[in-house]
Amino acid sequence: MTQPSAPDPVVEAYKKNLDRSLIRQNLQRSIQERLEALMELQRFAEELQRPGRRIGTR
Amino acid sequence: MTDFKGLLRALTDADVEFILVGGVAATVHGSARLTRDVDAVYRRSSENIARLVRALAPHNPYLRGAPPGLPFRWDSATVERGLNFTLTTDVGDLDLFGEIAGGGTYDALRPHAVTIQVFEVECLCLGLERLIHVKRAAGRPKDLETVAELEAILEERRRLEQH
Repeated sequence: MTQPSAPDPVVEAYKKNLDRSLIRQNLQRSIQERLEALMELQRFAEELQRPGRRIGTR
Repeated sequence: MTDFKGLLRALTDADVEFILVGGVAATVHGSARLTRDVDAVYRRSSENIARLVRALAPHNPYLRGAPPGLPFRWDSATVERGLNFTLTTDVGDLDLFGEIAGGGTYDALRPHAVTIQVFEVECLCLGLERLIHVKRAAGRPKDLETVAELEAILEERRRLEQH
């Protein structure tokens, strides 16, 4: 059993700004749906990077 | 883009003993953060290394970020000589670890892993509490934000269990 760690002030500060609605939404999804959403996010990130790379090579 | 289905199927069809860790394990537990590669801890037995080599060979594994044309051979001898491998494959980027900071080897992590069923395969994923422990042990600044999200997921999960 993993022992709980002492609270880290940096982690606690990050937690205050988390969008918990996104977490709750994800917890409603199946594992496969979570991985499919990640693939969709990867596809979107690649789409955004493509024009960025074109600008960089000009 | 990572073909999770293809990658997980390749590993499980070959009976490779591995545990998902890192960003993909976080996604499995409910993280919404973007991760680009699959991190897995593999068992360092000769039999498992042979299975791992066989499983990935058709997907052209190569050292990620290395210039093309290096004399890199994906075979059991290479894996036996090394420990951790940062690979690119036809089905996506894969980081293979013989052991990880704060978690150790496959055998040390196995009691903390959970069985998941996804894309019609069954595989092991590091449990949420141990994943938090490992991320904390890694101690990298970028991991602290991930730890915050994972701890929030744990809190939300406990809240759901109480209701």
